[in-house]
Amino acid sequence: MPDVPPAISVTGLVKRYGDHAVVDGLDLEVHPGEVLAFLGRNGAGKTTTTEILEGYRQRDAGEVLVLGEDPATAGAEWRAKLGIVLQESRPLGALTVRETLRLYASYFPHPRPVAEVIGLVGLEEQTDQRAGRLSGGQQRRLDVGVALIGNPELVFLDEPTTGFDPDARRQFWDVISGLRDLGTTVFLTTHYMDEAQVLADRVAVMRDGRIAALGTPAELQALRGDVEITFALPAGTTLTELPTLSKAPTQRAGEVHVETTAPTADLAALCTWAEGRGLELEGLTVERPTLEDVFLAIAGDHAGDAA
Amino acid sequence: MLREQVRADLLAFSRRPETLFFTVFLPVIFLVLFEAIFGGQSVTLSGGQTVQQSTLQVPAFMTMGIISASFVALAITVVNRRETGTFKRVRGTPAPAWILIAGQVVTSLVIGLFMVLVMLVLGRLAYGVRVELSHLPWLIGGVLIGAAAFSCLGMMLAAITPSTEAAPPLANVVVLPLYFISGVFVPVDSLPTWLGNVASVLPVAPLVKVLSWPYVPTTSTPWTSLGLVAVWGAIGLIIASWRFRWTPRRG
Repeated sequence: MPDVPPAISVTGLVKRYGDHAVVDGLDLEVHPGEVLAFLGRNGAGKTTTTEILEGYRQRDAGEVLVLGEDPATAGAEWRAKLGIVLQESRPLGALTVRETLRLYASYFPHPRPVAEVIGLVGLEEQTDQRAGRLSGGQQRRLDVGVALIGNPELVFLDEPTTGFDPDARRQFWDVISGLRDLGTTVFLTTHYMDEAQVLADRVAVMRDGRIAALGTPAELQALRGDVEITFALPAGTTLTELPTLSKAPTQRAGEVHVETTAPTADLAALCTWAEGRGLELEGLTVERPTLEDVFLAIAGDHAGDAA
Repeated sequence: MLREQVRADLLAFSRRPETLFFTVFLPVIFLVLFEAIFGGQSVTLSGGQTVQQSTLQVPAFMTMGIISASFVALAITVVNRRETGTFKRVRGTPAPAWILIAGQVVTSLVIGLFMVLVMLVLGRLAYGVRVELSHLPWLIGGVLIGAAAFSCLGMMLAAITPSTEAAPPLANVVVLPLYFISGVFVPVDSLPTWLGNVASVLPVAPLVKVLSWPYVPTTSTPWTSLGLVAVWGAIGLIIASWRFRWTPRRG
């Protein structure tokens, strides 16, 4: 989309606390209408970066444009185009879902109808319940509702599903997919790989204050191209009896592992070998590395671990 | 926008039983109890005049009602909104910052005025304590200036309070001794002179004096006391705006 200006464009962003650069030369572009998952370990600088984009924090260096304006100086008109879900915020417990949304609607020049937002976040049955009595997942969805009430072009979600049970997460994902269908740009900070895989058009992984990898989930997975073939070594055979494969197999806890870039040929050779001897390859699996594996490799083992 | 904010803040206030009890019911319960226990006694004022204790207690607990709403409840709510991230969140919307403060101040003003009305009516109907119609404007003015000044002091307290947990005890530690030495629980005349002198320059005693005058207009109009209340409000406002922040203290 070369003609459309990016929703977010960041070049050379730096933020220091004391003499430690939490964000250290970060470059990133987010296209309008896409869901970008922003990954990184705790302490990688995700929230700092997000809060600079939202206008809550000042940067030390670099260029930042969000919806065409500099968040450090942009005013109320700019904020009217944003929806923000903070990491640590909860709606006021004493107000009902409807009352909460009505209050926030009054802050915006062109709010969405309250009933429409309640539908978007799937809280129809809780409309007149007080926020304090909603489940954690429902409160978070109300929080997203609050972010959507102003009819935003761009929504920031900072680790929205932390602490959710699997059901609540799945319901939450439906809400985010709904946003994409509305054409809203979503900047989703998360440390759940499955979340990124399901929701994101592109994934950016932050490490040591910069973007360490950027691409579609499939592109990132391709960064580690190896497919792993695993099976139990048939009784009465040894590793040396196996046919020649593209990579040497290794044995761990009675299981044979082959990390291969030619899975089809290796699998064919193995199957032919086993069938010719009347053997069964128990527990045979062929696995592509998950995004999680890729993330672990890119993001490093520990927060702040040197590259 | 302000109407929606005040509406929501009042709703939220009315649905929290603990704040409702401490802010609204407690001063009324105190008034009823004190009237039952001491109401019949007569007090000789320093000017030599004798009045019923019940007459003095109505404006005294009116003062307590205003301070409960404008100072204690305001400080607790503002700290809570700050620490839960509600303020931060609203700062991310196009709403102007003043709307949050105005919402809180107007809300506590409404509650304070309601308390005054309850005391006024209760004093008149249950204890026969009346205000001359010609003194009513002074009373209304005193109530408004008192509520505004204590709102500023409440914002100051909120600004220097570190956490949600610290807010209620801190507010009460400030306010309870002041009630004792400022003529709310105990007549000022029965205090040691030095204590009375200390109290007279702190903000509570002058407000009691201002609100008592319409009930017992024996002295000249207490402009000095009214001025003192306003000065305290200004001090509160200055410190509040110097120390105030929107985001949680921790994290």
